[in-house]
Amino acid sequence: MSTVLTIDNLTKYYGPIRALNNVSFNVPEGSVFGILGPNGSGKTTMLGIIMDILKPSSGHYLWKGQRGSAKMRQQIGTLLETPNFYHYLSGIRNLHIAAEIKQKGREDIEKVLHLVNLWQRKDSKFSTYSLGMKQRLAIASTLLGNPDILVFDEPTNGLDPAGIAEIRELIRQINRQGKTIIMASHILDEVEKVCTHVAIIQKGELKASGSVKEILDTKQVDETVIEIAADDLIALRTIMEQIDGLMDLTVADHHLQVAFTNGITATEVNRLCFEKGIVLSRLNVKRKSLETTFLEITGTKSER
Amino acid sequence: MLHLLKIEWLKIKNYRVFWIFSVFYLVSIFIVTYIAWYIEKRTKTEIPESEMILGSSFSFPKVWHTVGWLSSWLLYFPGMIIIMLMVNEVNFKTHRQNIIDGWSRQQFIGVKIALVVIFAVLITFLNILTGLFFGSLSGSDFTLDGTSYIFYIFIQALAYLFFALMLAVLFRRSMLAIVIFFLYGLIFEWLIAALTTYQLKLAPLGYFLPLQASDVLIPIPFGEKVFYPDSPGTSALVIAVIAYITLYVFFARKKFLIDDL
Repeated sequence: MSTVLTIDNLTKYYGPIRALNNVSFNVPEGSVFGILGPNGSGKTTMLGIIMDILKPSSGHYLWKGQRGSAKMRQQIGTLLETPNFYHYLSGIRNLHIAAEIKQKGREDIEKVLHLVNLWQRKDSKFSTYSLGMKQRLAIASTLLGNPDILVFDEPTNGLDPAGIAEIRELIRQINRQGKTIIMASHILDEVEKVCTHVAIIQKGELKASGSVKEILDTKQVDETVIEIAADDLIALRTIMEQIDGLMDLTVADHHLQVAFTNGITATEVNRLCFEKGIVLSRLNVKRKSLETTFLEITGTKSER
Repeated sequence: MLHLLKIEWLKIKNYRVFWIFSVFYLVSIFIVTYIAWYIEKRTKTEIPESEMILGSSFSFPKVWHTVGWLSSWLLYFPGMIIIMLMVNEVNFKTHRQNIIDGWSRQQFIGVKIALVVIFAVLITFLNILTGLFFGSLSGSDFTLDGTSYIFYIFIQALAYLFFALMLAVLFRRSMLAIVIFFLYGLIFEWLIAALTTYQLKLAPLGYFLPLQASDVLIPIPFGEKVFYPDSPGTSALVIAVIAYITLYVFFARKKFLIDDL
């Protein structure tokens, strides 16, 4: 897989405040690359630098192996931070301007407006749009000219649940066409649902980067988390407590959550219980979520 | 550049405030000149001797000078329009979006600079029309004399508008830029000029202040020796104005190219 974007030691100071500190990673072609981090962690600063609206204090970046240029940016659809449009112009007139700047012609405009369900309101002034409509217009604008690379900064910001689902589906659909998507988000769930790769940033420092699977695996060690239940929860608990390698046992309302090291698998747990005369009514192997991993990597909330 | 200007036109075309201000400016030039013309006519009919002092401000070639001086007071209008157009982009963050979408920073500031030049040409053209109209109204014959004032009007417009553009780029806030533009142009520069010229006897230093240099090029049409004693030669002033224009363009461009947007 070739590399679409190379970020090499980017550092950015705002006066004495360091917003980015020596961040480096690569975005492979065809990936949905999530940049994950809490608010104020430097995600937008980084995207601003690679779009040439912010100047890095040091370091550099390459798009497809070349230095960033206006010509290159015309081939990238970008939504950065907020939808930026002329308030006094209608949605469609704003897209005329964007299409002219991208040198793409106007034939795509109708298609992209239909795609984000804004065709009916195309002649209304941008200032009359709701937050969600503004966001959808911005997404429509990024799709003009069918670019191979898309950069979305918090793409589902301000959208209602239906809108969020639509945008996620749109992102997956675009990715299936082989396009690369770079997406900044502070919403873990969003990244976990659509991204193939992720970079985790905290306070301007890169904490981890790689494919979502890699990130989950490196932190997983050989820990197994299982949810189990049986008619006799007390007896079940006694059995569990006798197993070597039990790390953690949590009693929930109608089940137990147990964590093992030593590579004990769900099969072994099931067999053990059966041998002791207990039939499990529930056995659920929990895959560790990105959220757990994220919290492990970035520390507790107060540390952010 | 033509394509860039076409995009700039798309931005302005449906911007109502721009058209209101432009019409206001257009009408103001005509009305102000008309009032001055009317007052002069009445004064002359009622006190025929006044012709000795006033001369005929609205006949060729003097009319270029008179119209240029009168309309120079109205340059704050197009100056404000330039500030609005530039600061709007910052407020809407469209200056970022234009660059994200594929303009270079040079192109963005370049087309704004081109816009200022176009405005200055239009303003000059408007002055020519007004001059021709009132010149022929005074029943004098058209001559090519005094048309150097048309050039002065043009570079004065450039100086005011580029000054406004620079303020807009530097301050990024329309109110702040407009207030500084007015306060400096209408009050502080006059104070400094008066102080250096009359009080400190440092003439011609005060005549070389940023906006003053172009103002003195088109001095008040009567009694200029009283208002502008020991004023420097026109060529020195023209050079000063052009130097200022260069500086405004340089700073506005520099700031836009190297700063975070």
